[in-house]
Amino acid sequence: MEFKQVVGRRRSIRFFEPDKPVEREKIQTILEAARLASCAVNAHWLRAIVVERDKLPKEKLDQLKTPVAALTLDLAPLHIYFFCDLGIVNRIEGSRLRELVDAGALAPTHGWSHKFVDDIVYPHILKPMTQNREGYLAAAMADCGGAAHMALLTAVDEGLGACLNTPNPALVKQVFNVPEDWVGLWVLLVGYPAESWEAGGQRPRPPFEELYFEGEYGKPFKRDPAVVEKLKAAGMIQAPAPLPGRQEEIRKLAERFGLPI
Amino acid sequence: MTLTKAIGEYETARTWFEGLRQQWGEEPSDWEERLKALAAFCAFAEKDPDTMVRECLRDSVSGKRISAKGRRFYSDKIAEWQASVPGERAAQGRAGNAVRSFLIHNGIFLQSGMQA
Repeated sequence: MEFKQVVGRRRSIRFFEPDKPVEREKIQTILEAARLASCAVNAHWLRAIVVERDKLPKEKLDQLKTPVAALTLDLAPLHIYFFCDLGIVNRIEGSRLRELVDAGALAPTHGWSHKFVDDIVYPHILKPMTQNREGYLAAAMADCGGAAHMALLTAVDEGLGACLNTPNPALVKQVFNVPEDWVGLWVLLVGYPAESWEAGGQRPRPPFEELYFEGEYGKPFKRDPAVVEKLKAAGMIQAPAPLPGRQEEIRKLAERFGLPI
Repeated sequence: MTLTKAIGEYETARTWFEGLRQQWGEEPSDWEERLKALAAFCAFAEKDPDTMVRECLRDSVSGKRISAKGRRFYSDKIAEWQASVPGERAAQGRAGNAVRSFLIHNGIFLQSGMQA
């Protein structure tokens, strides 16, 4: 699929074919994409525990269910639980950053050197950063978010439906018995959609000019209608929700799965 | 506990009706059946509809918020009641879902597993 179409077709899919498993090759592809995400200081905070729902012991699945996240866990045959490994920076002590210098990604042209990385970056920048939990969390989480979205878009590219959900962070840590310095983030629910891929249409978004500015705050970035038309033609901007027939589709899905309406 | 007025007269029942009408663009055709299920659940839980919704909420500095404890109580209670409803599993699921729908349309975000 073309990249713009992947972006345009992505929806948070909430109705999955519960008994149609996701092929292992596709799961690996999703994880490979997450690993290739842009990442500050090459630390790679994102961790994932892949769970095929039917292989998870029932008591563990039940433990993960809450009154706000029971249905989607039941419907999605594949759960990818994302965590942020906050301990990574102090464990690797900047060594992966050194690899970037070796690989020519960080060069003296931009002020980088082995000496700077070895003598300054870890002891004087990264290590102190990890001691300011609030700031450190913000940086690490932003990176994890980027990697998780690479995974999300890859799932769409593989013809799957996917949705990022927020499980109870303390609960997922306990259920999966992860190291103490991991922080529970999202769960990426994956499966073949039981709803149409349009899922009712592209979701409403705030006006473009309300979100993005040019040069300074308060001066909206001007949206060119010609570009919008081009993106429509490329499939990135699609028909907005609700598409005709969406309510009927929801009714049918509710009937099929026995859900409240 | 005895309801002090007709079940459909409770404010939260009216909110439910309005929520359904707004969601689906028409008046619910199975409204009487839904009310019957709600009334049966009220008898089981020994609570009236307004009290149930009130107990799923709590006061906070920023206003009313969902009470995780209250919601958990009613989520479990619905499951317990649903299992006691005579009939096949699908009919039990429909009854439980009617009560869940009542809470949902009163602003109590709630999910159950598949009932089919």
